[in-house]
Amino acid sequence: MRIVVLVKPVPDPGEERLGDDGRLDRSVSAVINGNDEYVLEAALKLVEAHGGEVTLLSMAPAGITDPIRKALAMGATRAVLVTDPALAGACSWSTTQVLAAALRTLEYDLVLAGADTSDGGGGVVAAGVATLLGLPYLSHARRIEPFDGGVRVERLSAAGHDVLEATLPAVVVGTQLLGEPRYPSLRGIMGARSKEIAVRTLAEIGLADRPVGGAHATTALLAARRPAPRGSGRVVRDPDPVAAASAIVDFLVERRAL
Amino acid sequence: MGGEIWVVGEVDAAGALTKLSGEAATAARALGEAGGREVTGIVVAPEPDGAAASLAAFLPTVLAVRAPEMARRAAAAVVAARIVALAAAAQERPAYFVLSATPDGRDLAGMLSVLLEIGVIVNATGLTWDAAADGVPAGPRVEMQPFGGRVLTSSGFTGERGIILLRPNMVTAEPLAVPGSVEECTTGEVVDLPLVRVIERVVTESPGPSIEEARVIVAGGRGVGGPDGFAGLRELAGLLGGAVGASRAAVDAGWIDYATQIGQTGKTVKPAVYLAFGVSGAIQHKVGMQTAETIIAVDRDPDAPIGEFADLFVVADLAAVVPALAAALRARAG
Amino acid sequence: MRRPGCGRCYDRRVVAAPALGRLTDDQRAIRDAVRTLARERVAPRAAEIDRSAEFPEDLRVLLAEQGILGLPFPERHGGLGADLLTVCLAIEALSAACATTGLILAVQELGALPLLLAGSEEQLGRFVPGLASGRDLAAFALTEADAGSDAAAIRTRAVRDGETYVISGAKRFISHGSVASLVTVFAVTDPEADRHRRISAFVVETASPGFSVSRLEHKMGIRGSPTAELAFDDVRVPAANLLGAEGDGFRLAMRTLDRSRPGIAAQAVGIAQGALDVAAAYAGQRRQFGKAIGEFQLVQGLLADMDARTEAARQLLYTACEEIERGAPDAGRWSALCKLVAGDAAMAVTTDAVQVLGGYGYLDDFPVERMMRDAKITQLYEGTQQIQRLVIARALLARKP
Ligand SMILES: Cc1cc2nc3c(=O)[nH]c(=O)nc-3n(C[C@H](O)[C@H](O)[C@H](O)COP(=O)(O)OP(=O)(O)OC[C@H]3O[C@@H](n4cnc5c(N)ncnc54)[C@H](O)[C@@H]3O)c2cc1C
Ligand SMILES: Cc1cc2nc3c(=O)[nH]c(=O)nc-3n(C[C@H](O)[C@H](O)[C@H](O)COP(=O)(O)OP(=O)(O)OC[C@H]3O[C@@H](n4cnc5c(N)ncnc54)[C@H](O)[C@@H]3O)c2cc1C
Repeated sequence: MRIVVLVKPVPDPGEERLGDDGRLDRSVSAVINGNDEYVLEAALKLVEAHGGEVTLLSMAPAGITDPIRKALAMGATRAVLVTDPALAGACSWSTTQVLAAALRTLEYDLVLAGADTSDGGGGVVAAGVATLLGLPYLSHARRIEPFDGGVRVERLSAAGHDVLEATLPAVVVGTQLLGEPRYPSLRGIMGARSKEIAVRTLAEIGLADRPVGGAHATTALLAARRPAPRGSGRVVRDPDPVAAASAIVDFLVERRAL
Repeated sequence: MGGEIWVVGEVDAAGALTKLSGEAATAARALGEAGGREVTGIVVAPEPDGAAASLAAFLPTVLAVRAPEMARRAAAAVVAARIVALAAAAQERPAYFVLSATPDGRDLAGMLSVLLEIGVIVNATGLTWDAAADGVPAGPRVEMQPFGGRVLTSSGFTGERGIILLRPNMVTAEPLAVPGSVEECTTGEVVDLPLVRVIERVVTESPGPSIEEARVIVAGGRGVGGPDGFAGLRELAGLLGGAVGASRAAVDAGWIDYATQIGQTGKTVKPAVYLAFGVSGAIQHKVGMQTAETIIAVDRDPDAPIGEFADLFVVADLAAVVPALAAALRARAG
Repeated sequence: MRRPGCGRCYDRRVVAAPALGRLTDDQRAIRDAVRTLARERVAPRAAEIDRSAEFPEDLRVLLAEQGILGLPFPERHGGLGADLLTVCLAIEALSAACATTGLILAVQELGALPLLLAGSEEQLGRFVPGLASGRDLAAFALTEADAGSDAAAIRTRAVRDGETYVISGAKRFISHGSVASLVTVFAVTDPEADRHRRISAFVVETASPGFSVSRLEHKMGIRGSPTAELAFDDVRVPAANLLGAEGDGFRLAMRTLDRSRPGIAAQAVGIAQGALDVAAAYAGQRRQFGKAIGEFQLVQGLLADMDARTEAARQLLYTACEEIERGAPDAGRWSALCKLVAGDAAMAVTTDAVQVLGGYGYLDDFPVERMMRDAKITQLYEGTQQIQRLVIARALLARKP
């Protein structure tokens, strides 16, 4: 089973540095998007059970290879990094075009992606990728089970879950319920150094003349500001239970919530 | 006059319109009034009539598209194909879409984005219409609160088209004085999206308001100590007319369902009141709830990070506070 | 499960990080990975390990699975073939969270070193794969009740009998003696020989008849690390388990310690760093006289000195590792230097960390009192600080002008 996992380097959540204009400083320590780690874990388990290999596909600035190395250390076989100066400031539509074009150059049975990204990514890219490639799209998976020629997915729904099936190749988007990602073993870390990260430019994936990238962004950030800080809260220390309860009730009344 | 604004209503498992769809319709209507655009609602469902009528409470025109195949096929591809067909048949193609920031809404947005070649702005917390500025034409201005509300941004579309995904509870749904009309609508096939079969629909959800829509959330973390601890929180939520939420630690421990998880890999909520018990306030949790209007936290650790952003921080053992609070609320209720 | 932070100040990010310049990419990547593991998986267990004084079998399994226990072993036998500095980086990172857990790797290396230094290819092939995978733990049994600093005075006997040796006697203070599968035992093979030629080293499988654990010590610190008294009641060991030649044992023990003491220095540096991180975070939060105590210059002085001592010990340790790894003729001096300085730094820094936390530092609500108790052992085992000074002075005096 050949699996491509879409991975996005994002700023370490909570450590994001935002400029005064509210824009994100992407040079600070990047990690793999948390949701992508869950699907990577699922992919690694699938190849452990069924054989095959895992290829990482990422669109990211050229310098950001540490998170990709970490994903390789977890056990992926190789990585493809699409990077191009023209891609700075790319919107989700462009990202979709780029990832789909890159996938056209790869061989796979399954493409996995994480539900959304912690840096404000909305989880719309994978659906677009599937649509561009004409592949079945199964999202919000809590379980992924391949069978002969197809894949069965338990998709979380508002009321429980739906059991979905489609033929391979397919695009599946997964959630945290796929299971905790593994730590890269030290052997994995040392081995990752010699694994290939194939770097591709827009021209190399056949998008040289296409209107993708920052210059063609479909959306624009117009303004950003810091919210007014929350006023410092009231603290009640070590009250007896009744006093604690009445402090909470009084506060609810004061805030007109009761 | 430019292209229309389309609102795609979502239906729940019972076939009813979701609350968020009414909010999206209300937001789109305000946008349409400010920008001088027609606003049309669309419901694609196996039995769309009821939900379409509900959506027409908010919008003058609603198209009801009967799609019996949705009973057996995953929704997004069916809805996307129908909408593309509607757009192709329309006199003027729609300019903007307002969709729900839900898993289904995201799936649909991703597909429509490439099928119609338009951009997407996700997780909108507010919508206005604004004049041309900074090389961006007149159109919707979308407010977002990325990174758990650490920053407020305003974005627009560089072309005169786009898809907006609206988060729950950002807008108060306001019906029209006079409900609009529902038009039954059939569509041709313009695109054929690959088949995803639904083999089975499993319903497990316990009743009660979903945490994304609840005005009051009573959340429990590792400090709750076990599934039994959540029983106390459920009672509190009942007394306050709210829903129970959880931290990931509580979900991972198997004390409560993933559907209740709040945070980076769970739900993002913005209730009027967020009451947290035994939740330390890790950044991954904070990003899901810190825009709540009022945050009250009970934690026995005076250094718990949640104390840094709670409006009321009670340093105490929750095991004693939960029953006392329940008693106090019952006493008030009389 | 990953569970970053449990809301207490001491679980926040490392406040100070060592200079990166001298480490290779691999070393840095391994250190960072072990540090993450230490923060997320080891730190939350540390207090409980100390309280229960139980060997953290779960963490042994974790270290094995992650390949950490394979670091000191050659790749051809399933290890990672890491250099000494890399092993020490891992011990340091683990010890910053829990000294008992750091010691699991340090003792694995200590117990296996005689084998790695003197074992034949056949012996390596027999024993190393199990050790490298972390399935087997090793222990190092030199000390006896009446032979501590004076290790050459041991009395445990090994008598040749055909193709076996019969070992009888007792060992005391043997780390991991009760959990190891293999124990390197030093025993007297020729009582008549010169003081340093009397002793030989054997790999003893603890499943052998006659081997038993006669007691476990109750200790001040590293309480989760079992320290065992071992009884050898005519334990038969194949002659094929003799390491090197008869009579090589004492020199082999000394060569082992030359290479293993940096591991204890690494444990000490880790403990010191752990305590410094807690103290610095606490000083930023605790308010007295209307300000954070970290704003008082006397507290700043404490913190600055703690940082200086820790960093100086760390840099000496890293240099010692490099010197020993390149085969410096005065390897023994380097290893004694770094353990001496790091052990004293750990003791001083942890004591000062308790001081910074005031009365709270004395409670087991905070980890610094544990770290202070743990630090003490680094001044004692693998040669007391006095013995380190003897080793250093001997090296100095032996130098030709
Ligand atoms: C990629 C990734 C994604 C994540 N996504 C999420 C997410 O979506 N949502 C989420 O919540 N977390 C998420 N996390 C996990 C997050 O980092 C924290 O580990 C988690 O939020 C901690 O849950 P907690 O606050 O319940 O537990 P803890 O941090 O252990 O806090 C428990 C609190 O309970 C208090 N307490 C204990 N007993 C009592 C008592 N008797 N009375 C009063 N107080 C008591 C303690 O003092 C403590 O403050 C994610 C982590 C990662 C790495
Ligand atoms: C927790 C723990 C774990 C241990 N693990 C192991 C292990 O795994 N394997 C193992 O073989 N041993 C182990 N040991 C033993 C340890 O190495 C010895 O305790 C140590 O070498 C000191 O020996 P001793 O305790 O007999 O002290 P002694 O040798 O009796 O020393 C007592 C005091 O006299 C001083 N002293 C002794 N001789 C001199 C001298 N010539 N000049 C100046 N001062 C001197 C010492 O510095 C010390 O202050 C462990 C000990 C402990 C406590």
